[in-house]
Order: sequence, then structure tokens, then C-alpha cells
Amino acid sequence: MTDDGPIGRARGLLRQALLQRSGPLTRGLLLAPGAFGLGKVPARAQPDQTTTLTCGFCSTGCGLNVHLQRGEAVNLTPATDHPVNLGMACPKGWEALAPLGAHDRATTPLLRDAHGKLVPVTWDAAVGEMVTRFKAIQVRHGKESLAFISTGQIPTEEMAFLGALAKFGMGLRDGDGNTRQCMATTAVAYKQSFGFDAPPFTYQDFEQSDVIVLVGSNLCIAHPIMWERICRNRNDPTIVVVDPRKTETAMAATEHVPLRPKSDLALFHGLCHLFIQRGWIDRAFVDAHTSGFEALRAGVADFPLEAVSEATGLTVEAIERLAAVIHGGKRVSFWWTMGVNQSHEGVRLAQSIINLALLTHNIGRPGTGANSITGQCNAMGSRLFSNTTNLLGGHDFANPEHRTKVARILGIDEDAIPRQASASYDQILEKILAGQIRGLWIIATNPAHSWINQTFAREVLQRLEFLVVQDMYHSTETAALASLVLPAAGWGEKEGTFINSERRFGVLKKVARAPGQALADFHIFRLVAEAWGCGAMFRDWTSPEAVFQILKALSGGQPCDFTGIGDYEAIDRAGGIQWPLPAGVALEATERRLLEDGVFFHADGKARLVFEAPRPLPEPTSPEYPLTLLTGRGSSSQWHTQTRTGKSPVLRLLYPGELYVEISREDARALGISPNERVAVTSRRATVEARAFVTNTVRPGEIFLPMHHEEVNGLTLAAFDPYSRQPSYKACAVKVRRLREQFA
Amino acid sequence: MIHSPLLRLVSDSAGSPSSLVDRLLREQQTLTAVDRFARQHDQCDQPAQARYYRDLIPLERPRPGQQYAFEVDLDACTGCKACVAGCHSLNGLDEGEIWRTVGLLHGGTAEAPTQQTVTTSCHHCVEPACLVGCPVKAYEKDPVTGVVRHLDDQCIGCQYCTLMCPYDAPKYSKQKGIVRKCDMCSDRLAVGEAPACVQACPNQAIRVRVIDQVQALQASEAGAFLPGAPAPDHTVPTTMYRSARATPLNTLPADFYSASPGHGHISLVIMLVLTQLAVGAFCIGLLGPTWLGSPGSGGWSVVNAAFALALAVAAIGAATLHLGRPQYAFRAVLGLRTSWVSREAVAFGLFAQTGVLYALSLVSDRLPAFPAKALLLGKGSLWAGAAAAVGLFGVHCSVMIYAATRRSHWRAGITGVKFFGTTLILGIAAVTALTAATAAARRGSPFLASAAGRALLAFLLVTALLKLGLEASLFSHLRDRQHTVWKRIALVMSQDLRTVTAWRFVAGVTGGVVAPALCLLAGGGAPGIAVLSLLLLITGELLERYMFFKAAPASRMPGALH
Repeated sequence: MTDDGPIGRARGLLRQALLQRSGPLTRGLLLAPGAFGLGKVPARAQPDQTTTLTCGFCSTGCGLNVHLQRGEAVNLTPATDHPVNLGMACPKGWEALAPLGAHDRATTPLLRDAHGKLVPVTWDAAVGEMVTRFKAIQVRHGKESLAFISTGQIPTEEMAFLGALAKFGMGLRDGDGNTRQCMATTAVAYKQSFGFDAPPFTYQDFEQSDVIVLVGSNLCIAHPIMWERICRNRNDPTIVVVDPRKTETAMAATEHVPLRPKSDLALFHGLCHLFIQRGWIDRAFVDAHTSGFEALRAGVADFPLEAVSEATGLTVEAIERLAAVIHGGKRVSFWWTMGVNQSHEGVRLAQSIINLALLTHNIGRPGTGANSITGQCNAMGSRLFSNTTNLLGGHDFANPEHRTKVARILGIDEDAIPRQASASYDQILEKILAGQIRGLWIIATNPAHSWINQTFAREVLQRLEFLVVQDMYHSTETAALASLVLPAAGWGEKEGTFINSERRFGVLKKVARAPGQALADFHIFRLVAEAWGCGAMFRDWTSPEAVFQILKALSGGQPCDFTGIGDYEAIDRAGGIQWPLPAGVALEATERRLLEDGVFFHADGKARLVFEAPRPLPEPTSPEYPLTLLTGRGSSSQWHTQTRTGKSPVLRLLYPGELYVEISREDARALGISPNERVAVTSRRATVEARAFVTNTVRPGEIFLPMHHEEVNGLTLAAFDPYSRQPSYKACAVKVRRLREQFA
Repeated sequence: MIHSPLLRLVSDSAGSPSSLVDRLLREQQTLTAVDRFARQHDQCDQPAQARYYRDLIPLERPRPGQQYAFEVDLDACTGCKACVAGCHSLNGLDEGEIWRTVGLLHGGTAEAPTQQTVTTSCHHCVEPACLVGCPVKAYEKDPVTGVVRHLDDQCIGCQYCTLMCPYDAPKYSKQKGIVRKCDMCSDRLAVGEAPACVQACPNQAIRVRVIDQVQALQASEAGAFLPGAPAPDHTVPTTMYRSARATPLNTLPADFYSASPGHGHISLVIMLVLTQLAVGAFCIGLLGPTWLGSPGSGGWSVVNAAFALALAVAAIGAATLHLGRPQYAFRAVLGLRTSWVSREAVAFGLFAQTGVLYALSLVSDRLPAFPAKALLLGKGSLWAGAAAAVGLFGVHCSVMIYAATRRSHWRAGITGVKFFGTTLILGIAAVTALTAATAAARRGSPFLASAAGRALLAFLLVTALLKLGLEASLFSHLRDRQHTVWKRIALVMSQDLRTVTAWRFVAGVTGGVVAPALCLLAGGGAPGIAVLSLLLLITGELLERYMFFKAAPASRMPGALH
């Protein structure tokens, strides 16, 4: 039998038609060696080069190894050698390229026409219109009638450009950022306690602790890669989670402390009291390195165990056990996130944690620290360089020496620098309401979704004479209210640096082409500066890296001094560099913590122990609104208002499409709510509909809603921490009812 | 519009006049990462990532009786879902295509609540149902590694494997017209690399182990797999879920109470109802001359047979439309040995062929002579019997297709009553309508008033009542305390699908009960009533079959909220 005759050929064809083991469909999934230290990768995305970018979602600051073909990103994998993420990434990181290709990218400037419709215009026209309208407002209502809302999502160089342009070039007084919603509390707490906004830890501390206390932090899904670092801890650590809910992290921890919502300040004051009472404190360290001990001792004396038990709903034994665990640890680290920051008394709460770390000398040593986990990828950059609350480089607007220094380095007139800090986000909205601010410039944030008591926020934004929204997408809830939309390039389409939670600079690179006419925010600021007529002030601000050199100079002599970091290349090569690194100091370790010498940033070198008694909840539950609403992250695949994560088909499959409310079995039974039933959640401000997820992971009297759904912030109460002006998203009073009668 | 002259004062690097906007737009489109950050990469034998996964994959190949299996450390799985995204990116899957999912279990008490995220993908079963069910042999279980692989180019896109797999592992791609699934990254394992999910898990919760297949069999006999997951005794999944924590008895998947409509499979609905109508009409029609007092002559039989055959052909056409790659439908004969889909295809194919021969034999005296004519068309009754037998066998195959999925709501008893009930009801209604119409066309005596007609009407009324009653009895499950599959179906039918449900019963009662009852009471009726009754009944059965799929609870691993 031969296969080359007609019969053989026919037989072959038949066999192939009947049983086809390979072909185009099989080849579609072919893998090929990736080279560059990669394993096998999809053959059609085989890279000809790779490069590492710092991720642009959260503050963890993971290195993402982007696979390039002819300079353009085709895929990515977590960077194996990166000191932050050790070869891992959460789904957002894996999908970081997907949102760039979304169909609703803003590709041209859009100006609202006479019919109220956003229509495409040229950049010249857009920037011209913006400048004309803004200047006209200033002529009528004064220079201070304009303001800006910045973000923790753009590189440091762009933030600095925006802050400098707005305040020094355009004469604005007020500008704030969405970092007000995430890190303001911690920044104020550190500044008051340590003398500078300086998170003291390095991620290695996660691996070196023997006791890890997580307060108001669902690390497993909010910062999965930091949880990875805890998984790398070889000390078999005791992990305590202080959280009203039994979260993923509470499940994975060794101890869960399910306290009543917002009773945390009482708990930590109580612990502080117990530690002082039992002599479990390092008195020598306290005397040498802190001040305010006596006042603290007197203050916390009002928090005996029984009172704390009463306030928190925890048993006396549970509190004692927690104290014993902390006392028993040799290297205890305390970590907190939004459960602490987004509170009506967040600053004092953060400080109560700092107090405990100071009293027990769990600071400045490996595996210790009073450590805030930051939210956004560049909240830390914003805290130093947004030029809103602080003058560029962590300086003080009110300090004449600081103004002189900044003016000298920037080569600008000292009088161009305002003598006071900006109004805060909420105060800017109040000023709009009062007619004092008439024009607003919003960059890379989405207040119409994210601001607390959203209905009010939207009404306020609609009162503006001219609202400029600069964003990657024309479809955000805020862009819908804009007079002018400026199309921005996104992460991966521009250069700059982020600073992560552990103070590490990481580099962003240009690995994708921005769609249409979208421009890097940096470029947009250059255009506006030229059009405004203050281009000369920024003649040295030619590129992000040129600005980085200016920022270095600004940091000189500050606790964050990074004059010793060379350039982007140096940061890239080192896998990121933490501040401080003053000029002349060699970079010896990839991981460094602060305060190892016990010297704090106040003039006397001592930390302040700060005490204040808890204040009642702004909106306690009542017979009419008997439940406390908790809000927070829904899943690891969602990021804030989801302008980006909602654009990845993969990420969309990883979170619920419909709003759900977690409610306890007890409350559900009392309200006659069956599992999966649609219910109405009502606060004094709004009603939203959601599907009931009846679960024991929330306790009776409490419900939980994920923050990512637009309608949730219709419910929340606009209450603020008095010191940080950070909104208190984590507790308001609500009621729940069934939407309709049904079978069974 | 205002065009700011300020923006036109700059020159580009070449010195030619150019606006700042133009320059920045040009700059924006230049990719610089490679030029500015060229990297030196160490050439290494192993992928750099191997340092993290080296201990998570086996060093040795499985011996006979062994195979590779996923092992999941539930205590380490914290729901970050990196495994899903990593699998997607490292395997170059299509937009929105995922081969791994992460579900959620929860339970416990208010004092001691528990929740557990669960990562899951293909379990590379010892007895893969996907493989058994595939009509085209597009699955194979690797004799050495035990990995269940899908041959993408062999697949015709019938999606039966997605129904056969209790764990929802094979995923249908509408765009490609085929199913694809996890192959445990066999190509990676073959060269000592870890599967994508193993590489991607930050907590090292997923690993690949070599297991003894006997071990998996024993576990499946004991029903030990994962709380909330479909029972393992059907396919013997090999994934091992490990946990040091005790699982509360009340543990449930987070999506346990969600009852939402699934896929309607319209072309399957049409195919099933039409084949059953065809077989029913053919068989009842055959009985006609003997049992019903010869309501028609040979001519009538031809009409009836032709009617049945036309429907059968239409049904086969509808079935083909259901395929993602209909051009390869002919491959469906390959799976005869194991797949009920193959058997169904062959049975209905034979039904059409023998039916044609029977129809031709009825008119053979009018056909010209051709070789073997006597042999082919001489024995009409033989072909009639054969066609009836393969037709009924075809309906049996249809029943078994769903019974073989081992889903309790599709079990043979229930599916059998439904499918053969449809066959009977539509068969009677069709024969009644055709006979009445034929009689009227020939100006014969009104068929519906005849004894045979009345017998058919009575028979129709009884069978229709029984079937409708059986269907309606489902709603008693709405009172179940437990959220059984029956309650789920009843919930979906009474909520999301309540309009369809209402029309199903309106059509069924009007066509199968009211119309025959009126005719019986009036002692006859116009042939139009019989035709109308048939049309209503066809509509009703189509809607019933639509809900057979649409309201069927999915079988899958514990899911998250969705």
C-alpha cells in the first residue's frame, strides 16, 4: 500500500477530515520559548525585548515585566527579580495593558457645545477655550475662584507640574487630590507623631515579624502581593486582623478581632492603658525617644478593660488575649489601611496605633513598625509633590524659608508661592457651593462616583461655570458633567515615577501608543502653561526626567532627601530605590526601613505620643436606621471607580456584575429576606437596590457594600476627620427592606 | 474657536516650524522604553521564575496507574484570582476567555463564621465525561500524564462536553466555534516548567502532583472531593483540595441561592421537538390503517410519511445549525462507541433514509423500473418497521444524551416522559390534523366525528393532561425548605421566565385539553380546530423544551457571587 497514489491521497484526506489532530485552531494556542529569562509564552506574543514598569493600580508598586515587539507592549508577566513582588502580581497587574485598548478612550478633546453635547475639537481650540474661560472667571471673581482636583494615579513629575503650574503659574490657591480620600489621615498622623509624613517600613518587615497586626485592612484582596510577603514569613507569625467583618484576610489570619464598627480607638486606648498598667512597655525607649507620655497615660486611664469591652463588643478575655499576643511578640508590626484612614477620628486612631508601637519599642527594628499601607500607586508621590497641602517636596507653604528655598530652586519669584496650604477637597466643594470657586480642573479622578454623599457632590459640580476633566476615558461619571474633556494618555503610554507604600521610586515607561490625540498629562500641562502665558516659568520642565532632577533638588535636606538617586536608569536598574538617599550616600540595600536610630523628625528628635478621647459616631444607628453600613473593596480585580478595571473582560469576569449587600443571617431572617433576594438599602440620603448575600461573615446589625458600584456613595454620610479632612466612608446608618413579595 | 498663537511659536528638533501640539503629539507616538532602558538579560537554562515554582511541580513522570493532578492548598488560597489572570495571559487566551475560576464557600455561625475561596479548573478526571460524550473524539486522555486534552481542530462545536462535564471546565468560544480547555499546560510540564496558574499564585496554593489513580477512585467512592461541588463518583476528578481547617456542615457556595436562566439552546429545542414530532407522526400514522379503521388510503400514508420526513430533515438541519463548525458535522459518526450524540445523529439519519425508502415503496408502482427496485422497495412494511424502530431509538438517544450528564433534573425518567410524551402528543395531534384535513380535502366524512377521530382526541386529551400535570407538579417544590435543583428550576420558571411559563401552559392547555374536549363534547369539529390544536401543541412543546435548557441549573464548582 502506498500513500502517494490517488487512493492513498484520498485515504489521507479522509483521515485528515475525520480526525484532525492539529491545524490552525491548535496553532492558535501554541507556546514558544520567551527568552529573556521567561519561560514559554504564547507564540504570537513572543517578545523581542522586555522591560519592567511599576504597576499603576495600587501602592504596592509591583514590577511588571512588559513583553515588547518592536518597542510595543504585547503581553506582560510579573517581574521575577523585582524586590517588591517577587515574580507575582494580582489580576489587575496581569491585566494592566487591557484597559489601554478600551473603546471609550478619549481620543480627542471634547468641548460642550451650545446644545449641551460634547463635540470633538482640536487641541489648540480646547486649550485656548480652557485658558480663555478660566481667565475670564479669574477676572470676574478673583484668582482664587479656580481650583484643581488632582490624583494619586499619575506620576510624581506630572503631579508636581500640575501643582506648580496651577499655583505658581495660574495663581490658584486651592487644589487637592483624591489622596484626600485615602491617605490624608495617615499623612497627618505621621506628621504630628513623627514630625514628617514618613511611613517607616520596608516590605521585608512583613517577612521578619513574629506578630503581625492588621487593622482595618483586607490585605488578601486589597494588597494581595503584600499578603504574598506575609506568606514568605518563615517565623510562623501570629497574624491578628482587627476588622468588624470576617474578611478573606480575617479567615487567613490566626486571630480575628471582630470589634464593633468604629470602636477601634477605644480598643487601642484600652490596649495602651493595659500595657502601661502591666508594665509591658519599654520605659527607657519611651523616655529617650518620645514626649507626651504622662498626658497619654492620664488619657488612656479612662479605658479600663470593662469599658473597652463595653465599647467594642469584645469580651474582656478577647482583649486580654490580644494584648498578650502583642506583648509576647519580639518583633510586632502594626499595619493599617482604609478601615483606619476613612474614619471620623482616623488621625487619632492611627496615632493610637503609633502610640502602642512606640510604647513597646516596636519601631525602627526589623519586623516592627506602625505602618500605613497606602492606597493608590502614587499617593506617596502626591503626599510629597502635589503642591496642595504641602509645598513641593514635603515643605510648608507657611514657612518663609521653605518658600525661599523652593523659589530659588525653581527660579521663580517667591511671591508666586501662596503663603498657606490649599483648602481640602470637601472645603473646595463647599467653596463651589458658596460661589467662591467657579472653575475646576479635575485630573485622573472620578468624584462624581467616589466622593462621599455623591448626590451632593454632583449637584456641586454642576454649579461650576467651567469644569475641565482630564482623563483617559470620556465615559467617566465625572466626564459626563464636564464642560471640556481633555484626552489623557495612561499608564504605559508615558514616562515618570511612582513612589510606593514603602517609599520606593519606580519607573513608568512608554510601551504603548496613546490612542488618537490623547496626550500624556505632562504634555497637557506644557500646553496649558504655554497657552496661559507662563511657559517661561517651566522652560526647564521639558521632560518627566528633567522634572525628576528638579524634584531631587527640592528634596535636598528634607527627611525624604533623594538627591543621591541618579536618574531613571539608576532606579530601573536597582528595581526601584527607596527614599531617603541623600547625595553621597551609597545604595547598599534594596530594602531599608526608617527610624533605626530612634531619631524622629521633630526638632527635638522625639516622637509625640498623641491622645484624644473617642468621639461619638457622626451618624449612629437609630430605631429608624438600625443597621451600620460598612463599605470597602469588593474583590482583588476591582479598582476604585473601575474606570480601568471595568474595561478588562477578564477582570469583569472576576467580580459580581450586580451590586450585592452582605447581610447577616440574623438580620435577614428578622427582615424576612431570603438569600439572593433583591432588597432596598436606604440611608437618610438615598436608596439603592442590591441583591442580598446572606452570610455570617458580617455580624448582626451591620451590612457591607462594595465601594466600586456607582450608587453606593449615594448612601454614605459626608463626615470628616477634623484634622485630615478625610471622609468617613466606613460607617453610616441605614435600613434594609425587601423589594417585593415572592414565592416561598 | 480660539486658536492660541502661543502654541505655534516652537520649532521642532529639525528646526522646521511646527506647533507645540504637533510636536507633543508626535512625541507621544514614539515608543521609548527600549531605547532608554535597554536591558541586559542573563541567559539562563531555566526560566527565572523557576526559583518560585521548582518545588511545586513533580520531578518524575507518572508511572502506570498514576497521573498528574492539581493540588490546591485551600488554607493558602485567599481569593486574589491571580491564577485566573495568569492562565489567561500566559496561554494567550481570547478576550474574556478563562480556563480557571475562583469560587467562594461560606458557612459557620455568627460567632464562628467561615469563608473559603476555591480556585478550580479542569480536574483531569480519571473517567472524563467530556471524553465519553464527545461525538467526534476530540478529547484524549494522555496515557502517560493523564492530562485530558482537547483537540481543537477536531472539535465541531457541539458543546455537548460543556453539558457532560459536571465542573464546567470546557469553555465554548462562540467566536471560534469550538470548545477549549485547560490542558494543565502540558507543553510547559513537558520541559519542566510549571503550569501558568502554579507560576502565578502568590501564595503557592496550587501545585501539580503525581497521584495514584486508585487513590482518586477511592476518594470518589467515598464522595470525598470538595463541599458544595458536584459529586465526584461520575467522573473521578483528580484535583486534591487540602485544608487543615474543619469545614462547617452548613458550608454552601456563595452562588448557591442564585437562580438565573442559563443558555436556551434554541436550535437544540427545535431539533428535539421536530424529531419527536416526526417520529411520533410517523409511528402513529403507521398504526392508523390497522387501529383506526383505515382512516385513509395509501395516498394518505404517503402524505403522512412525507410530512414526517420533511420534519426530520428540518430537525437535522436545525441540529447542524447548533454546531460551531457545521461543515465538519459528518465527524459526528466517530463517537458511536461511547457518545449518545453520535448515536442520536446516526439514528435520525437512518430514520430519514428508511423513511424515504418506505415512502417510495408506497408509490413504487408509479416509479420507473430500476435495478434492485424490488429488493429496495418491495417490502414497504419492512422499511416502515425499521424507520419506526430507529426513530424511536433516536428519541431514546435524545433522552440518554441528557440522562448521561447525570444531572438529576435531566435524569432518564423525567427526560424520557418529556421526550416520549412530546413524541406521543405531537404524533397524535399531527395524525389527527392531517387525517382531518385530508378527509376534508377529499370531501369525505368528517374525521373528528368518527370513532377513530374521537379515540385520537380522547387519547390526546389524556396524554396532554398527564404531561402538563407532571410539568406543573414542579411548582410544588417552591415550598421546599432546601434550595433543591427542583426549587431552583421552579424559581427561574416562576420569576425570570414567568412569561414563557405562562405561554407554555396556555398553549398546552388550549391545544391539548380545551380543543380536543370541545370537539369531543360537540361530537366533532372543523379540521381547522385540529390543525390549530397541532400548532398550539407544537408551540407549547417548543416552550417546554426551551425551559428544559433555559431553567436548568448549571452544574459547576462552587461559584462566587455574580
